[in-house]
Amino acid sequence: MEPLERLLNLVGLLLETPTPLTFEQIREILEPYRQENVGSAKRMFERDKDHLREYGVPLRLVDVDAWGTEQGYMIPKGEYYLPEIAFTPEELGALLVAAQSGGENAPAEQAARKLVYGADGGVLAGLGGGPLASGSDARSVLVLAVAEAVQTGRVISFGYRSAYGDASDRTVDAYAMVFRGGHWYLVGHDRGRDDVRAFRLSRVTTEVEIVGDGREPPEGFRAADHVQAGPWLAEADEEAVIRFSPDVAWWATSSFPGAREQATLDDGWVRVSVPSADEDALAGMVLQFGAEAVVEEPASLREAVVGRLEQLRV
Amino acid sequence: MSEGRAVPKTAERLGRMLVIVPYLVQHQGAGLDEVAGLFDVTPAQLRRDLDLLFMSGLPPYGPGDLIDVDVDEDDQVWITMADHFSRPLRLTRQEAIALYVRGTELLATPGLPEAPALASALEKLRASLGPEVLGGNEGVVALPGAGDPPPHLELLRTASSEHRRVEIEYFAASTRRWSSRAIDPEEVFSSMGNWYVAAWDVATDEERLFRVDRVRAAKPTELRFEPRGLEGAGRPLYSPSASDVRARLLLRPSARWIAEYYATDDRAERDDGCLEVTLPAGDLGSVARLLLRVASEATVLEPPELREQVAALAREALANYR
Repeated sequence: MEPLERLLNLVGLLLETPTPLTFEQIREILEPYRQENVGSAKRMFERDKDHLREYGVPLRLVDVDAWGTEQGYMIPKGEYYLPEIAFTPEELGALLVAAQSGGENAPAEQAARKLVYGADGGVLAGLGGGPLASGSDARSVLVLAVAEAVQTGRVISFGYRSAYGDASDRTVDAYAMVFRGGHWYLVGHDRGRDDVRAFRLSRVTTEVEIVGDGREPPEGFRAADHVQAGPWLAEADEEAVIRFSPDVAWWATSSFPGAREQATLDDGWVRVSVPSADEDALAGMVLQFGAEAVVEEPASLREAVVGRLEQLRV
Repeated sequence: MSEGRAVPKTAERLGRMLVIVPYLVQHQGAGLDEVAGLFDVTPAQLRRDLDLLFMSGLPPYGPGDLIDVDVDEDDQVWITMADHFSRPLRLTRQEAIALYVRGTELLATPGLPEAPALASALEKLRASLGPEVLGGNEGVVALPGAGDPPPHLELLRTASSEHRRVEIEYFAASTRRWSSRAIDPEEVFSSMGNWYVAAWDVATDEERLFRVDRVRAAKPTELRFEPRGLEGAGRPLYSPSASDVRARLLLRPSARWIAEYYATDDRAERDDGCLEVTLPAGDLGSVARLLLRVASEATVLEPPELREQVAALAREALANYR
């Protein structure tokens, strides 16, 4: 008999049994364990149990009777079966697309396959095309390890190199994980710095080590508050006026969030107003347009740009 | 018997069967090929698995107690006596988290039409699995990017699924020039917060990757194309070419973002927090503009003519202010 057949029978038997079964009872019912050498039958059973547990089958060893004189095995149906989740066809379709996106990820794909068991055939037929997104810039094993630490409220330690290149070891209560703009961030309480910090996972230089159980996030904690928005996304209190050459004007207007076209000038250049929250960052973005952008206002931004150009002219 | 080698294979097949059988029970008459495709096995392997399945069942394992599997002449699968496998095994914590993480990544993609369905699916998943699996607090969060989705995203996605040639007006950031071209859009995908279309460029007769937000105008044509199997999501966003120039740069800490944002190689960390990298690029002009942006925070190590180009660009830009 093939091992797969034996395992399927074992799962069926332990799911349907009204009372827990001892190994001896299982052996009587399932022929493959009825070999002469009890020791080798027992070893085979042990390996089979490992296989079942590896796949998340909730195999339990419980008292057979109220006196606890003997213990037997069973698989509680309530723990085994996937709970009913009333997904719409669109929701299932979206989950399948998500599972396929972002590169190889066997557990996510297995999860999606479990969820589609009751789906209308049509849901799946409509799923042409490849994955929709490339996922993040961090290693996927690392992403899953940190997500698990967040979900189970752990303290973790890891090596980190900051945006400015400083390398250090961090120990962090894992509060939450945030995904933005292709990057995953861990937000948590940095024990060394005694403050809540965000860590971009692509800057984590080691594997993650579980240190122990972590603290709960403080009252009113919001993960998003700790992941810095780009300077141009912050609340803009000023408006800059920039002139762009005809070639780049459309592109410039659509790449600065909140930019508005004011006028097209006689020479074809386009005057655009741009919200400005961080003059330094805005100066950099204007400079990347080279000679095809000119700051008109405010004077401070104009001076900042001219000053940086003066440095570079020789 | 080579039980040792058979073990991982068996465990894998078991995991697969515990997921496939419930699907078959709920979808009587499903096509063998379709099911094999959905569960990512070959039809031959699925057939072998099913052959074993109908040797199993419940005690006392008489002929009437065994699972009955029938693959008919049209390769449709019918299955009875498998009520104990009519619902799949619940998600392990690892599976649930992996799917939730993937869903969250996709949810943060700007302009995704599936976003509302995905958001409610993730919410149902979290509610049904309970805090012990998917965490009680805020957990894993998506922050969608700012701004609107690119105006021609929907048109390009539709054209891609219909294999329809499209005429576009495109802004090439490296050359700073507009061009009108006909493309065969094969794969539309999002990466690092931007949408791309992997397409065949008809005029140059070669594969090209276009940023969807740099498409100023798009018009579908009547012409259908035969897909060439171009790679979509997951492909490198920068494809090196023999004609690339290679700029060697020294980045001070506040310019290190360049190495995170652009594909670089031959990275060398220095003790003072500076980073040396090689930045490959189609032309030096785009590197010079980037260097204008970071001013004194980056130093050109090679090639020397890049240094001169930055200075010339600075003089040219300064002339606008005189």
